[in-house]
Amino acid sequence: MSGSGNASLEGKALREFVSEAEEILDQLLTDLADLFDQRSSLDSDAEVDPDLVNRVFRSAHSLKGLAGMFGLDAIGDLAHHLEDVLDGLRLGRIEMDSPAVSLLESVVLLLVSLLEGVGDPDREAAARETASAKIEELRSALQEAPAEEEGFSNLSIDPQLLRALTEYEEHRLRESIRRGRHLSLVDSVFEMVSFEEGLAELSAAIREVGEVVSTLPSPGDSPERQIRFSLLVATQISVDQLRTRLELPNTTVQSVLVPAEPQDTPEDPSPSEQATQAPVPPETDPLPSAETPPSSGESDGAVAEGEAKSPDIASLRSISGTVRVDIAKLDELMNLVGELVIQRAAIEEIASKLAREALTTHIGQELTKANRLLDRKLKELQAGVLEVRMVPLRQVFEKLSRVVRRLRRDLDKDVALEFSGADTELDKLIVEQLVDPLMHIVRNAVDHAIEPEEERATCGKPRQGMIHIEASQRGNYVLVEVRDDGRGLDPTLIRARAEEMDLVDPSEVLSEKEIFDLLFLPGFSTRSEVSETSGRGVGMDVVRSNLTSLGGIVELRSDLGRGTAVTLTLPITLAIIRALVVVVGDHRYAIPLNSVLETLLIADGEIQRSEGREILNLRGQPLLLRRLSEELEIEETERPQKQYVVVLGLGDLRLGLVVDRIAGQQDAVIKPIRGPIQQIRGIAGATELGDQGAVLVLDIASLVEDAVRRKECA
Amino acid sequence: MQRILIVEDSATMRALLTSSLEVLETPVKITEAESGFEALRLLPRHAFDLIVTDINMPDINGLELLSFVKSDARYREIPLVVVSTEGSERDRDKGLGLGADSYLVKPFDPEALREVARDLLARPRQDG
Repeated sequence: MSGSGNASLEGKALREFVSEAEEILDQLLTDLADLFDQRSSLDSDAEVDPDLVNRVFRSAHSLKGLAGMFGLDAIGDLAHHLEDVLDGLRLGRIEMDSPAVSLLESVVLLLVSLLEGVGDPDREAAARETASAKIEELRSALQEAPAEEEGFSNLSIDPQLLRALTEYEEHRLRESIRRGRHLSLVDSVFEMVSFEEGLAELSAAIREVGEVVSTLPSPGDSPERQIRFSLLVATQISVDQLRTRLELPNTTVQSVLVPAEPQDTPEDPSPSEQATQAPVPPETDPLPSAETPPSSGESDGAVAEGEAKSPDIASLRSISGTVRVDIAKLDELMNLVGELVIQRAAIEEIASKLAREALTTHIGQELTKANRLLDRKLKELQAGVLEVRMVPLRQVFEKLSRVVRRLRRDLDKDVALEFSGADTELDKLIVEQLVDPLMHIVRNAVDHAIEPEEERATCGKPRQGMIHIEASQRGNYVLVEVRDDGRGLDPTLIRARAEEMDLVDPSEVLSEKEIFDLLFLPGFSTRSEVSETSGRGVGMDVVRSNLTSLGGIVELRSDLGRGTAVTLTLPITLAIIRALVVVVGDHRYAIPLNSVLETLLIADGEIQRSEGREILNLRGQPLLLRRLSEELEIEETERPQKQYVVVLGLGDLRLGLVVDRIAGQQDAVIKPIRGPIQQIRGIAGATELGDQGAVLVLDIASLVEDAVRRKECA
Repeated sequence: MQRILIVEDSATMRALLTSSLEVLETPVKITEAESGFEALRLLPRHAFDLIVTDINMPDINGLELLSFVKSDARYREIPLVVVSTEGSERDRDKGLGLGADSYLVKPFDPEALREVARDLLARPRQDG
């Protein structure tokens, strides 16, 4: 906006700019990661998704334009050079493995940090220097191939359509010709009222088999209510095949080009070579040249042969390195492994039955041996599938740090965010479901916990607030702790609010932990007004129920005036568990073995009773006992002299669960239960155990949590 | 009151275009479209006197929108200004070739935009 002097306009819009720029950079980082992912999973000649490349380019392009409007030269210049590289990439002048491309991520990260310094003159000055250094680095890494200049005189396309192609679209058209794709013009007329949906459907159908190079609108026959779109389309399949596939009303598919043989050496697109393999207009006979195979339209066999030679098809046959897999497919595999595990358990039962019978002892033993080997291989398979699902928490942490940056600006609070344990791995599904709760906890911390700078200074705290997120693995669980050094929670205020909301009787005595637990009750809030920042999304009650549904727990500690820590304890995976089968009365239950520390056989006399609680002295430490029969309200048969105690551990919490009998260990796949039983606290799901039919799986997290909480009440 | 259609996918840029044109001496009504598609939907609903469009947009690009406007008898006479980022000279030539009345380069000078807008809004139109 140089020279205009419209200062108020700039001031008003600068915030908007920063927030839009942050969104753009967010998107850029995600898209770049996808781009490099794709690159590493494709063969050297295969093409990365052009739409993705173009989107990345557009992000840089928009950012440059925006920064320019605000006179933010450092960001503008850097974005400009970023745009140049991406422009080269999308126009095919720069290869994916060029040194300039490997710099892209660092450029975007630098842009993120430059953006943080906007408004601070010192940082802006420093920013200009780092930016120019980076620009130099980019420049020296940049080697561009010359621009493509040939026209499209040999295509039978409406010249108006060609005129409306941007430079990028022209490049995509050339690239499609070069790769020997079939080009067609898909013409479709839509009702004005619903053209977007119709067009989206059509484009999606085309994208399954190719690329939409351009979309040109023109007035329909009755322009008042109709609109026509002409889509220039490049596909691997023939135009006839495309026509059959689309089969939509008011849609025509015309060939505009018969593909020539793709070049063998696409890395070196010398003009002379392109000339000899010039595309053939549809109405002309195929060139009787040695390099050109019999053209399509004559026989399907010829088309198929031509396609087989196309570099893209070839690459599909020999994908090496990495593949991207839909998580649903992994779920399916996991389920199958689960079924196998159950079948194996059934075979084990049969084997031991056979071994017990005198006549079949030998064959039973053989079967047991074979089954053991099967077991080992199944475990390897299971571990393999599980490992594929594991992802580091880093991605979630990066997302959180972007949220904090945005909040910092929106709320005008100086907050630093620190991470440790970003390499800790968890099941992808758990990681995904962890984002919302964590986001909420972090928002709470920035919004409510961290005090404004002046207030912090008065309390003698550093002006900058600090949030630390730490992840660590403990056996089969992962702990994620969010700590802040903010004002902490005031139990008196929380209690008062709870009484106001009739959640607590004024006469009731509550421990500090119990008071903090009130925060997890549905609808509880200590603020009368919902803040803009933490008001959206979920409350702490939703955080808790999210965690419970993942088989985890959430705990909260706070030190008034010094800070708050929220700890999430999560199982590493949701899929297959090794379970301890216990018996109470006539019922069997499965307990996930990862929460079992040990099992004990105790005499009734060893149990100490005080204040209605049962306690066992376990190697000098008191262990709180609960009877599973009471927890699940099962009618108790006569209490045996010897009882079994399953010692459960969840994070730092311990609980001894008293059961009648232990029936052994089994592999189990937890399946969610539908219907009324779904709501019962303490039951996580059901599983099948070999020949023993369905068995309920105990939800250890809620059992332990409930028991420990009641202990504090007592 | 004369009516201007602004077609631009960036919210900030849209706000800048709007605030630049809001302060024209003769009051104008400004309608914003976030995408080319939205522009296609808005065009039949109001009688616009000026269209200001970006080129690089996700669904249909500004050139395609321009081509549509110029091929439809109802809109052909509406003056159209392209506001796009520099560096796409070929796109600039294409824009003018397709019948754009003016082509501004981002970052644009609001006064230069107003200048162009004043000029085009004052131009007599055959379709009234």
